[in-house]
Amino acid sequence: MKTCNFVLSGLGGQGILFMTKILAQTALNKGYNILGAETHGMAQRGGSVVSHLKIGDAGSSLIRAGAGDFLISMDEAEAYRYLPWVRPGGMVFANASADGFPDHRVKQYLAEYKITAFATEAGKTALELGAPRSTNLAMVAFFAAFGQGPLDADALRQTVASVSPDPVKQVNLNIFDLCHEQGKKLC
Amino acid sequence: MKQAFLLGNGAMALGLLEAGCQVLTSYPGTPSSEILPETVRFAKAANLNTVIEWSVNEKVAFDNAFAAAISGKRAACCMKMVGLNVAADSFMSAAYIGNIGGLVVISCDDPGPHSSQTEQDSRFMARIAKVPVLDPASPLEARAMIKTAFEISEEFQVPVLVRPAIRICHARQNITYGDLKNNDTPAVFKREPTRWASTPKFRFLQHKALNEKHVKIAEKFNTLVPYNRHTIQTGQTFALGIAAGGVPSAVVTDLFDECNRTDIPLLKLGAPYPFPEKLAGQFMDACDRVLVIEETDTVIEYMLQDRHKTWGRLTGHVPMEGELVPEKIEAILNQALVESSLPPLSDTDSTKEGFALAASLDLPVRKPTLCPGCPHRASFYAIRKAVPKAIYPSDIGCYTLGSNLGGVDTVLDMGAGITLASGFWHAFHQDGEDKPIVATMGDSTFFHSGTTGLINAVYNDARFVLVILDNGSTAMTGMQPAITQGVRVDGRKGNAIALETIVKGCGVNYIQVVDPYDIDHTIDEIKKAHAWALSPEGGIAVIISRHPCVIGLRDQALPEIFAVEITDECDDCGLCHLRFECPAMVRNPEKKKTQINPVLCSGCGVCLHICPKHAVQTVS
Repeated sequence: MKTCNFVLSGLGGQGILFMTKILAQTALNKGYNILGAETHGMAQRGGSVVSHLKIGDAGSSLIRAGAGDFLISMDEAEAYRYLPWVRPGGMVFANASADGFPDHRVKQYLAEYKITAFATEAGKTALELGAPRSTNLAMVAFFAAFGQGPLDADALRQTVASVSPDPVKQVNLNIFDLCHEQGKKLC
Repeated sequence: MKQAFLLGNGAMALGLLEAGCQVLTSYPGTPSSEILPETVRFAKAANLNTVIEWSVNEKVAFDNAFAAAISGKRAACCMKMVGLNVAADSFMSAAYIGNIGGLVVISCDDPGPHSSQTEQDSRFMARIAKVPVLDPASPLEARAMIKTAFEISEEFQVPVLVRPAIRICHARQNITYGDLKNNDTPAVFKREPTRWASTPKFRFLQHKALNEKHVKIAEKFNTLVPYNRHTIQTGQTFALGIAAGGVPSAVVTDLFDECNRTDIPLLKLGAPYPFPEKLAGQFMDACDRVLVIEETDTVIEYMLQDRHKTWGRLTGHVPMEGELVPEKIEAILNQALVESSLPPLSDTDSTKEGFALAASLDLPVRKPTLCPGCPHRASFYAIRKAVPKAIYPSDIGCYTLGSNLGGVDTVLDMGAGITLASGFWHAFHQDGEDKPIVATMGDSTFFHSGTTGLINAVYNDARFVLVILDNGSTAMTGMQPAITQGVRVDGRKGNAIALETIVKGCGVNYIQVVDPYDIDHTIDEIKKAHAWALSPEGGIAVIISRHPCVIGLRDQALPEIFAVEITDECDDCGLCHLRFECPAMVRNPEKKKTQINPVLCSGCGVCLHICPKHAVQTVS
């Protein structure tokens, strides 16, 4: 029973749960079973927030350290914090400046476990297009550009369109397209 | 059939309605808080007549559900595990008296703890109360178990506890469901004082009857498939078996599947008490050793009688505290397998290297903080300014995070902000010292457990300032409506009760209402209240610090948005991000000045008044 495991990390208030919803809804539309684990309550107030999502058939919600296929992080430091969850051969996507990412101190670890890591300034892109709170879906778009896992870019974009409220729908799609392009250049 | 991507709490809401629950009561508390609103959502969509209420506290919730159950209806109440402590008096007594209609108590545990003051195991509370307990392994199982719980509760006329842990409550799973129907069982209360109002003589008989029920329920639990089962065939023997319940049993099953291990038998105990002796005995007989993996305490481990065969917390194989996350369970299993001369599941050293690397990076410590614009931040800042050398007893809610501002010295349990304040007063007064004390408590906590302590403090002539932090909602647990707002959970009108009325009714004669965003005025009022409290004619002074929650009631909280910027006057003193602790104010190490994070800034404008150098100004 192999599931596709997403670990999503960031800070409280960055919309990690919304990002989870986009991925989960897309998986649901494709007919997969999904099981995830969220952070609520005290731990959500500005703290480090992580959300686990297993696509496929699973009985338990938490992803074991070393078993995550993809780590998508809204924050560079939060990407490093959850690095132990990424499996050998897994991939990391971070909202960070491409210069200096990944940190030189983690490069050897990534190479040893054949983990590939990519960064884009999704926060900056979202801010420039006028919707800084849409950084979460910008990261989804960036991830989608690499064509990995069972969720393709078109399906993810369609989910973004269906869950975005009307006033921000177009901006969100513009952000999605731009970050998707930025990702395409790296793969 | 419909499909939804539901929280475990939503799955349980469905389970309640599918089982025909007619009355549901609760007090919010992580991780239980979403069960009740999700029930409202499903009940509304299906146009059901279910009675659903946010009660003032968990004991009140329990009693309201109990009355419905002894009137023959199916009733449930839900709470977090420390809430069951509040309801414990009723819970213990109700087990003896029993019920007619099914009575299900859902007590959600928080191994970790993630958002609680203890890691207590509700299964132990069930054991103390002699109440049967079910321990779900997944959201889907939790939903199914609720129906079973109602059936057992009616068959044996005893309340049944369902104990989902946080990984059930806050898991999310796609769940299909069909049409929901009303349960039209009418309320019938048959007078029977020897049962419903029994005296100690009858209590003895009720206790005896309860013990007899237990023998029968244990017998039922021996064959309660699929919740209780093992994978051993007659005649097989094993060097090592695993006994597990709840979330850990699902993790163990997933791990064995993933590693293709079919050589290790599992005893799953989703209904661990009354203990299914026969089922467990078969398993024990077939294994040389049994490793018990359960959260959070040693319920199964204590009940397995052969101590020489049992491994678990008592033998040091399983950590005594903390959540049993999958990587921890993997390591526990590996150790036990190796000790039993069996091949381990995996080489866990690779994750150790990852954790060591992450630990070596000096990543920022992210402690939870009050939200940007939170009115509590302004209140705590004002309290510290007004009475800087006081003891600050506080309480449980978002405002516990006032500890980051130095405004919270104690947090014991719900209501202890006031009771500790009076206790401190008398302890110091005994030595002839009039100790300055400023207590804080949220509006919802005040209704939950504040009034008894306040009446006691007034009656016994304690002296302190109580600041009631009134943000018009129960914010920490997800913005449940406050009693002061007169809105009930299903949107119907309730009768709003003003804090001022209650405080006055508790015998307090000094009550001032302030808006903490008006920070200078708030500081003045707290100073005045403190002076009055300690004056000869004084008493307990109450300040109601009233401003709507910036998240839950955003429009009311922020009628005017102030876009702010930092001027060159900033001398990098750090007060705004270190003492005032606004998450939207961060130090720019290159410029050696504070800068505003526009994504996080709420525009509350309070920072305009706190900078000693007046270096915060509105953007022109």
